[in-house]
Amino acid sequence: MKKILFILFSVVASSAFAQSLTNVQYTMGFGSGDLGDFISKPSFRGFTVDFRKLVQPNLGVGFELGWNTFYEAKNYDTYTIGTLSVSGKQYRYNNQFPALFAVDYYFQPEEKISPFVGLGTGTMYSIRYTDMGQYTLKQDAWHFLLRPEAGIIINANPNLSFAITGKYYYGFAAGDLDAQSYFALSFGFVFKN
Amino acid sequence: MRYRLTAMVAACSLSALLLGCYPDGPDYTEDLDIVLTNYEKTYDFKAKGTYARPDKIVKITGNLIGNDEPSYIPDKVAAPILAQIDKNMAALGWAKVELSETSSPDILLTPASWETTTIYYYYDYWYWWYGGYYPGWGYPSYPTYASSYSTGTLLMNLVDPAVVGADGNAVTQWTGAVNGILTGAYDAARVNKGVDQAFTQSPYLKTN
Repeated sequence: MKKILFILFSVVASSAFAQSLTNVQYTMGFGSGDLGDFISKPSFRGFTVDFRKLVQPNLGVGFELGWNTFYEAKNYDTYTIGTLSVSGKQYRYNNQFPALFAVDYYFQPEEKISPFVGLGTGTMYSIRYTDMGQYTLKQDAWHFLLRPEAGIIINANPNLSFAITGKYYYGFAAGDLDAQSYFALSFGFVFKN
Repeated sequence: MRYRLTAMVAACSLSALLLGCYPDGPDYTEDLDIVLTNYEKTYDFKAKGTYARPDKIVKITGNLIGNDEPSYIPDKVAAPILAQIDKNMAALGWAKVELSETSSPDILLTPASWETTTIYYYYDYWYWWYGGYYPGWGYPSYPTYASSYSTGTLLMNLVDPAVVGADGNAVTQWTGAVNGILTGAYDAARVNKGVDQAFTQSPYLKTN
């Protein structure tokens, strides 16, 4: 898992430059729907890389890659399916990997504080592990993804800005999983080129 | 170029930082203890009331050959476990009787244990005990699991001598399994807790 993430990040970081805006962000996630039911605790492990080429001064087109891992250690409990009951502690992991094309509209690109909204679509890979005792249930899915976003860019100097972004990821039901969705709050640096 | 390098460093640093704190899961061996129970939905436990069990716990090391007597876990370990099982059965209304020519218990309780990283098929570990009374029985098979740690499992089965499946084998009416990673020292409290939980999560075993 870690190796895959590191390769993913290296590829993104080395290929996404020579263009206009590269946003490297720390991302917190707050599960909703089925994901929120499975893991109620927020994710404080995540990052996002956004790349946008400015096709107009107030319009950016590009892509986004990200990762968030949700984790919760459940208390000792009994889980029953039909006539089968299993008691123990469950350790639940849910990793989300969104990859999407995105369009952003910047309301005041020349101002010190530049609010923007955006929309993205693509795919999201979800991989869920439910560990109990020494046994693991693995479920995964490639979802069709929609992702609206809103945020502000704080322009510190001509080459570097700061960004705060709110996003909502909604991956439609697919594979082993129901629809997976979460809110994300990101903070990061915007490198301009 | 300068900003490209800066962004790459920022991205890699952030990823390394976050990957370094990937959640680790359980902290203690006991956190991996599980208790599993299953039962035959159509079986009427309420209409029964007596059970018999051997006074030992079989140590499963593989399928037996013929009517060979298996090995057992030491009596000093088995006795408190069996007492804990009896205590739970009594709390559910069951009366313990001896298996003999003259008594006919409603069900047989067949305890077993194994220590392994892989659980194989087995079917006849108590045949030597009840075979003389219920000739012709084999024993239902179980699925195979594999894990990366040495585990200890205590298995408790309830079998009705009067109910034989289409294949001629006894049908297990209830199974309780207590499973955990083995440690250097035997922990009776850990095992007893598992036994209690197996019966607690099986309220349908209560008799009238």
